Amino acid sequence: MTVTVSSHSSPAVQNPLAPPADSSVGKTRLQALSSAALLLPGLLLPALLPGIVSTAQAADAGADGVSLQFSQYKEGKRELVDAHSQLPALNVDVVHGSVNVHLQDRVRFTFGYTQDTWSGATPVTTAPLVTNPNRALLRNSATGVVVAGASPYVNNQLLLDAERRPLRVSPGVGGGTEIDTRAVQVLSSASPESRDQADFSLAYDWDEAALEGGTGISQENDYESVYGNLSLRLDFNQKLTSVTLGSGYTRSQASAILDPDLLPYLNRTAYQQDIKRQRGSEILQGDRRDWTAHADLTQVINRETLLNVGLGYTHSKGFLENPYKAMTVLFVDQAQLRPNGGANLPVNVPVTADMRVLLEQRPDQNRQLAFNSKLVRYVEGLDAALHLSYGYSHDDWSVSAHTLEVEWIQPLAGGWQIAPRLRYYSQSEADFYQTYLVSEQFYRRFDPDNPERLQVFDPGLLPEHFSSDHRLSGFGSLSAGLTLSKEITRGLVFESALEYYRRESDLALGGGGGSPYADFDFRIISAGLWLDLDAASLRAQRRALAMEGEHAQHQGMHAGHSTSTGVMFGHLLPNAGDFMLAYRHAFSRQVGSLLAGSHGVSDAEIVSQGCSALTQCRYVPTYMNMKMHMIELMYAPSPSLTLMLMPQFMDMDMNLRELVGRPAAVPGVHEHTGIGGHTSGGIGDTVIAGLFQLRETSSYSLHAGLGVSAPTGEVGLELRRMFRIDGGLMHFDMQTGSGTWDILPSLTYTGQGERWQWGAQLSGVLRLESRNESGYRLGNSAQVNSWTSYGWHSGVSATLRGVYTHRSAIHGDFNEFNAQIGPMDFPRNQGGRFVDLGVGLSYTIPAGRLAGNSLALEWLEPVHEDVNGFQLARHGAVNASWQFAF
Amino acid sequence: MKRLLVILLALLALPLTGCVHVQPWERGVLAKPHMALEATPMQNTIRSHTYESREAAASINRAGGGGGCGCY
Repeated sequence: MTVTVSSHSSPAVQNPLAPPADSSVGKTRLQALSSAALLLPGLLLPALLPGIVSTAQAADAGADGVSLQFSQYKEGKRELVDAHSQLPALNVDVVHGSVNVHLQDRVRFTFGYTQDTWSGATPVTTAPLVTNPNRALLRNSATGVVVAGASPYVNNQLLLDAERRPLRVSPGVGGGTEIDTRAVQVLSSASPESRDQADFSLAYDWDEAALEGGTGISQENDYESVYGNLSLRLDFNQKLTSVTLGSGYTRSQASAILDPDLLPYLNRTAYQQDIKRQRGSEILQGDRRDWTAHADLTQVINRETLLNVGLGYTHSKGFLENPYKAMTVLFVDQAQLRPNGGANLPVNVPVTADMRVLLEQRPDQNRQLAFNSKLVRYVEGLDAALHLSYGYSHDDWSVSAHTLEVEWIQPLAGGWQIAPRLRYYSQSEADFYQTYLVSEQFYRRFDPDNPERLQVFDPGLLPEHFSSDHRLSGFGSLSAGLTLSKEITRGLVFESALEYYRRESDLALGGGGGSPYADFDFRIISAGLWLDLDAASLRAQRRALAMEGEHAQHQGMHAGHSTSTGVMFGHLLPNAGDFMLAYRHAFSRQVGSLLAGSHGVSDAEIVSQGCSALTQCRYVPTYMNMKMHMIELMYAPSPSLTLMLMPQFMDMDMNLRELVGRPAAVPGVHEHTGIGGHTSGGIGDTVIAGLFQLRETSSYSLHAGLGVSAPTGEVGLELRRMFRIDGGLMHFDMQTGSGTWDILPSLTYTGQGERWQWGAQLSGVLRLESRNESGYRLGNSAQVNSWTSYGWHSGVSATLRGVYTHRSAIHGDFNEFNAQIGPMDFPRNQGGRFVDLGVGLSYTIPAGRLAGNSLALEWLEPVHEDVNGFQLARHGAVNASWQFAF
Repeated sequence: MKRLLVILLALLALPLTGCVHVQPWERGVLAKPHMALEATPMQNTIRSHTYESREAAASINRAGGGGGCGCY
């Protein structure tokens, strides 16, 4: 029996033993053989084999399955010595999902999706500490003057000694000087930005070989890359040896919107040809191409040891710069050494340097060679596995790196597994890495012979390539992590991990890396679910067999989307012990004209009435998109109760336009310069709910739902505060949560005939608190849904849905500064009465390996809207979902 | 540094000398999920993405692309 539970492995991640080779066939055969082997000597312990099989499902990402994961990268504050920056540290929220299925016995398909949103402080350059480049930005608040941020001062004057070391001048009249060679990173902060990546691959497995091809795209508003790869795996020696050869190609295009606040202070003459000007923004464009090739050997050493060695080569060409990093250059005008054209000054007299920043310049080519090795060793007695790996790489830029990693994977009783790990990394600096440069020439001056003419520095006197990006400096790092996983039920695994990483210049191999100012640390936490579709299917089949006859009438309702995909809390799970995992995606778009009530309005009306009696509007949104990813895990402790857990991940983006007839700008207040829009995102609120069966017959059922929404989302997301310009809290709609504990009651009726199903639901959202930490609360809402669907035998069904929504305006207002630039910043311009009509299709795979997986898609068309105050018209919404019950 | 590399390579090559023929029915231990080369694949994705955006080392990029700018 056990062998039928086999998973299907992907060659990339598997050992050759576990005959990743020929997918289903191979592994099944292998497990059959190994089970047979265990049987032969009479060694089969009944408790052992199920253990092997079930954990195999847990860890084998090559098996048919679905993974959904959230992770968060968070940096500690950078070391700024004596500056007290309030800039929030860098934070990246990542949501990742992947699907791996066999389309046929020998054909595998994988699809992956990643979205990340990042915000926070990041270094733009490195400067001598004596120039105090990170200065506090002060702001008036109700409690007095507070530090609101930091302002980078990248242009300055300083004194250098004869050896061009920075001098610190003691305060006060006639203060002396002392040498201070310390450097400091100059931080800038970014408003949230997000990235989407989608990739897929197709593989064909032979008995002793596999061919895999993949492609993908990664998109940010300033960077896009498209890539493809191909690999071939060959097995030899009864699969004791396996060789993989692969290659890949990536084409990336940067179109970096240079920071409009930094532009006046940033020299970018080297890139004049590559900068495009558009509506007040400067966009630095660059193309990059990367070719990769790798060869990889995996060898079974003995019954308990596995070795993998690989060699990789990457050739990168084109724009290899980081477009947001600049180099600090201290220009020393030689004229000051000979005042009035006379004799040279004594060498011990300090000189004045003109501190400027230039966009970094890297070589336009890099070739990297990497070697990697990994040893996996079984530890008998403890049933643990030791993973030891070492990697070395070297490139054209003279960066040599060593990585040493050790991980101990320890399965425990009850489906638990714990894996502590340690990693050491060290790299040498790139040959063009410099903390900052000193150049013995003026930066800019009027020609002494012709005072009308401006002379600028000679770039030929600077090094050809230079960068102060800390990633190219010499350093070492130590990190420690822990992965903990638990099999919740057959086929469903919860995994969480924590990692702490510390970068230290002094940890570099062979002595210090010479860049202590760039030391920092970060941590990554992650949590995810992995569903093994084969194991879960088997669970479902076994349970169906066990319950045959008993609950036969339920099966029809159980499978697939019995309600419209946009309806939450639409159905219970029919039997005690049932699980369901679903992923829901909702995309909605508002675009076009601004409405007041149900009618379009002119710019003049918006300026005068769209904001408040005291404030005139200056901007309106041109569009706003909202995406929501929701994971839905359902479990039925009894037939009349289903419990649900629904974490969410949000991201929003919008752009604005200036209103015709707007009032003048207010100094020091966010003015939305340039062409870039606003983006935000991150984890949203988390809903925990219970559905209770009230009445059920063969033709209809009635159930009540009660959900609680925990405020895990953000209500304090801010636009950056930099350069004395206060961004303030982002618009209400750009916050990822409600900020309050909310309850979500619902009452649902569903009826079903042979082919037809219909239903109606009354639901609401009630805010339990009067204000969130940012001072406001979202409006309560009520919704009526009714739908009908028709199903064909093929597993396809069509749905039609009508929705009426009533949502109140926001109560209270932001308790911190918000720029109040347009209608979206005012609480009364929220909520309204909306009627939508939805049409959808769903498909439940009726048979085969993927039987029971259900996909649904719905388009929701606004039919009528009557908004409170002034709001952007809604364009429509798409709901898409996948679900699987087991 | 080079010496270190040589020593490590030698250490890693050592087991090869002791290669034995493992019959298919003797591979039960090797089939265990925690003996897979990538035993925690969900974590590897996020980790390698993070390291790549924070360190300059080249990697044998199995996935063959992606990751974005990582310009922060």
